[in-house]
This record gives sequence, C-alpha cells and structure tokens, in this order.
Amino acid sequence: MKTFYLRWGGILVLGALIGFLGWQRYDREVKTSTPEEVLRQPSDKPVRIQGRIEAGSLAIDPSTHAAVFNLTGTGGKIAVRYAGDDLESLRELKVVVLSGKWDPSARLFESRKMALTPNYGFVVSAYLIGLIPMAFFLFRMERKVALLYALIKQEKLYQPEDQHEIE
Amino acid sequence: MIASIFIAKLRKYQNGFALLSLLFLSAGLYTGLVVSPPDYYQGEVVRIMYIHVPFAEAAMAAYTVLFAGSLWYLWKREPVIDNMCHAAAGIGILFTSVALITGSIWAKPTWNTWWTWDPRLVSFAILLLILIGYLMLRSFLDDPEKEARYSAVLVIIGFVDLPIVHFSVEWWRTLHQPLSISTRGVSIASSMLYPLSFMSIGLYLLLAYLIMVRTQMLYLEHLLEAKQGRLLSEVHSS
Amino acid sequence: MNFFKVIRWMVWKDLVSEIRNRENISSMFFFAFAVILIFSFSFSMDARSSRELMPGIIWVAFGFTGIIGLGKSFLPEVQNDCMEYLQMAPVSKGAIYLGKFAGNVLFLLAVEIILFPLFILFFNLDVLDKLPMVLLIFLLATIGLSALGTLFSALTVQIRAREVMFPILLLPLAVPVFIGAVESTRGALNGDPLALYGHWLELLAIFDMIFMIVAFWLFEFILDE
Repeated sequence: MKTFYLRWGGILVLGALIGFLGWQRYDREVKTSTPEEVLRQPSDKPVRIQGRIEAGSLAIDPSTHAAVFNLTGTGGKIAVRYAGDDLESLRELKVVVLSGKWDPSARLFESRKMALTPNYGFVVSAYLIGLIPMAFFLFRMERKVALLYALIKQEKLYQPEDQHEIE
Repeated sequence: MIASIFIAKLRKYQNGFALLSLLFLSAGLYTGLVVSPPDYYQGEVVRIMYIHVPFAEAAMAAYTVLFAGSLWYLWKREPVIDNMCHAAAGIGILFTSVALITGSIWAKPTWNTWWTWDPRLVSFAILLLILIGYLMLRSFLDDPEKEARYSAVLVIIGFVDLPIVHFSVEWWRTLHQPLSISTRGVSIASSMLYPLSFMSIGLYLLLAYLIMVRTQMLYLEHLLEAKQGRLLSEVHSS
Repeated sequence: MNFFKVIRWMVWKDLVSEIRNRENISSMFFFAFAVILIFSFSFSMDARSSRELMPGIIWVAFGFTGIIGLGKSFLPEVQNDCMEYLQMAPVSKGAIYLGKFAGNVLFLLAVEIILFPLFILFFNLDVLDKLPMVLLIFLLATIGLSALGTLFSALTVQIRAREVMFPILLLPLAVPVFIGAVESTRGALNGDPLALYGHWLELLAIFDMIFMIVAFWLFEFILDE
C-alpha cells in the first residue's frame, strides 16, 4: 500500500509541475492587462492590453497602414496607435487584444500586433474536466484492486483450485 | 484456468502500460499546454483539441474493445472476457462523456454554441446512451451468464448501428441545416501534431491500463463473492 | 420441422391468440389514438404547419405505439412458461425470431393502417393519390422497428424493469429508422418527386436488411439455455 501512495504522490507532483509550467506560460504569453493598469503602472516592457474600441474614436489611415483609436477598459481609456495586420478587422465596440509598448512622452500606446481575445477559462476547464475525474476514478479503482487482493488472501478457509494466480 | 492465466498476464503487463501512458501523457500535456503555439484562427482555444480529439478516439477504441470482447465471449463463453467487456463499458462511458463535454467546451468559443446536431456529436451521444443502456441492462439481470450473453448481443447491435446513425444524421443535417459552420478540415500544423499524437498514444495506453485494472477489479469481486458464498454454504452445511 | 413451417406456425399461433383476446392490438390502437388526440390539442395547426409537423407527429405516435406493442411481444411466452419450450424446441432459433418478427410487423402495420385514416380525418390531409407510397414507407419503417424491437423484447422480457429498459435500448438505436421514416413521409405527403426523397427509402431498406440479418443471427444467443 505504501508504494501505491508513493506512486500517486509522484503523479500529483508531476501534474503540479506541468500545471505550474502552463501557468507560467499563461503569465508570459497570454495574460492581458486592462488600459487602466497600463496607465497606473507604466513600464518599458511590452505588454498586452485587452479593451473595447471606443465608439466614434476609430480612424483608419490607409496610406500609413495605421489606425488610431481609444481603447476602453472597465474604468479608464487609453489612446492607441495600431500599425499591423488585419486593419480592416478593427470595428468600433469590438473587444481586441493588442501587444505593444506604452509611450509616456506621446501618451500613446504603440502596437504592431493584434491577438485573439484569450478565452483561457475554456482551455483550463476542458483539461480539468478531462483529467481530474479520470485520475480520481483510477485512484479509487487501483485502491480497490489492492484491497481485493488483500481480502482474497485473507480468505484462508477456502482456497480456490487455481491458486497460483494470486501472488 | 484461462481466467487465472488472463488475470496473471494483466497483472504482469499493467505497470508497463501505466508507466508508458504516464510518460506520453506528461509529454503531451507539456507540449500541448506549454510549448505549442496558439492557432492563428482559434487562438489559445485550440489547445482543447489536444484533449478532446484523443479522448474521442480512445472512447471509440473502448467501444471497439467492447465489441471484440463481446464477440469473443459469445464464441468462447469465458467469464473473464465478460468481465473485460463490463470494464470496457464503464470506462467507455467515462471517455465518451469527457469527449462530449470537452467538445461542448470547445464548440462554445469557436462556433458560439454549446451543441450542434453534427453527425459526430449525435453519434457520440447515441454511443453514450448505448453504453448506459448496456450497464443498466446488466444491473437488471441477475443470472451472471445470462447477463453476459444478453449484454454482448446488445453491444453487437449497437456496433452495427452506429455507422448507420452517423450517415443518417449526416444526410438529415445537410437537408435541414446548411453546413454553415464546418466541423471538418482543421488543418493540422506540425507543431500541433506533437501534442496531439503524444496525447493520443498516452490515452490509448491509459485506456488499456484502465481496462486491465477494472477487469481485475470485477474479476476479483466475483471471485470474492463466490468464495464467500462457498464459505457461507460450508457454514450452513456443517 | 422445416424452417418456413416454423415461421408459419409462429405467426399462426400469435395471430390466433391475438384474435382470441385482442389484447395487444387494442391496447396499441387506443394508446395511439390518445397520442393523436393530445397532439391535435398541443399544436394549433394551419395547413402549412400541419404539412411541416405531420410526418413527425405520425412517427412519434407510431413509434410509441410500437414500443407498447413490441415490448410485450414475448410476454405471453414468459407468462405461460413457454420460453423454456421455445429454447428447447429442436428447430432453428432464427426461425422462431422470424416468426415472432413477422407477427409483430403484421400487428404494427395493422394498427398503423387503422390509425392513418384518423390522421387524415383529424388533420385534413390530402393523400389519396399518395397512398401506395405512404404504405410502402410504413412497411419499410415498421420492418426496421420490428427487427430491432423483437430482438430487444426477447432481451428485456425476463428482467424486472422491462417497461423502462425496452425503450431505453430501442429508441437510440432506432434513430435512423425515425429519421428515414419522417423524411420520406414528408416527401411523400408533400408530393415531391421520388428522386428527392428516394435515398431515405434506400436507407430504410438497408437498415431493414442489416438488422434482420444481424438479429436473426444474434437471436440464437438469446434463446440459448
């Protein structure tokens, strides 16, 4: 029984490790800030912000391949200059994720890359629903098998003909 | 005698399957959740594919095992094979429900709907119903031999029926809902192939391992019951 | 006894007992009648929606009727302790199946043919020229339903929760029959050209053939002592 719990401890550690690595990657590549957070804590590092394009603020300039608009979050808003692919997909009131840098001198968020809105909750829930019941089911089953082997060994009053099957 | 050899074989090889499956699954999870890039069209949500598709494949494999086992049982009438079928059905229910639920979770962000009458979805729902019906039928039959025989018959009928269900729903759907959202043709980049194949192999191995363990469990339960029954009858007769 | 004689005797026996007590057909008939009545109250139908809904209503009614009738088809044998005799009889088990199956098709088809005029009456259908096609569809779908239903009836007749288990097993597997029957009935009632819905008839025919063969073969394992 001791090795059984040790094995499951190992699986748990492995799962936690993969979970941690996944979370790290999420933090590095997926997580988005709101416009307010960028305004409150300006940094030189590139960030991803998620917000809604403010109605009436979108102006696309085809000659320079750039768009200028305001991005609103829950409270504040931030002026954005976007020069990248898929300019035509920008719409007013659309929720977008932009990665770029905050330029404090021009008070403008410069972005060259647009990403899809991350719905990471779906991914996490799919994996949890897939793996946790499976692990739980297997754990219960393995424990029961170990218990049954032990129980059958105890039944000394009567041994079946085919005894060699049980270690 | 065959039963004891069969169970001994399962006990001998199961740890290998468990270890290999653990290796492949952790490689699959690592590549799927950490290494592989997001899809251009679907973004991060594409990662659900790495768990949904392998689960769906493994669910079908479970039903194939169940079908083969049922044929084998009807041919040889070996109770331990029936234990294997019983085990495969229970695990099949788990895999099929996970495939359906993760599919639903995947459908919501990509097609903006939790459920669509797609032939494959309907076939899986029917598969789930067949498996649940299978376990219910078993639970209502008292004589173990009859239980095994009848349920094997049900499995064979269901196995023949599923492709017909699939085709009829496909025809029906092209008639009633123009295929606005394509459920096919997610072209697979090589960076997606690694997590997908790791997870697939890992889940096939895990399926084998689960069936092995559950077969032993059911076999031992029956053995114990028989033993205790014999003990009781000895007590009564003495 | 040769194969076809067994089939004939099985059908004959069921027919005679049915004619004597009229239990099965009358319960099926009144049940279906009640279903039709409920449907006519549940949907307020004009001519257009009636054309849309009619095939579905017909096949829900016939499907439930089939469940009532088919589910009980082996009950008399169990109640009169005849199952053992059928098992021990030195004849082909497949012939027993085919006999039972043929009897079920006859009963179900009879109920459907009695009920269809009621549909015409209650829902103002205009079908006279389409009658042969409708009857062909009824025949094909009834064969498919009975092929599965007879087998499942034998499977579930001896268990405790027979009334529950029979539809749980039958309905999911009969999905192709229902789809095919509803679609082809819709085509036929609309007066579409056969080319538009002919493939549904093919589907029904293929389903019938496959499951008659599979059930014929599997029945041996059910009536096995």
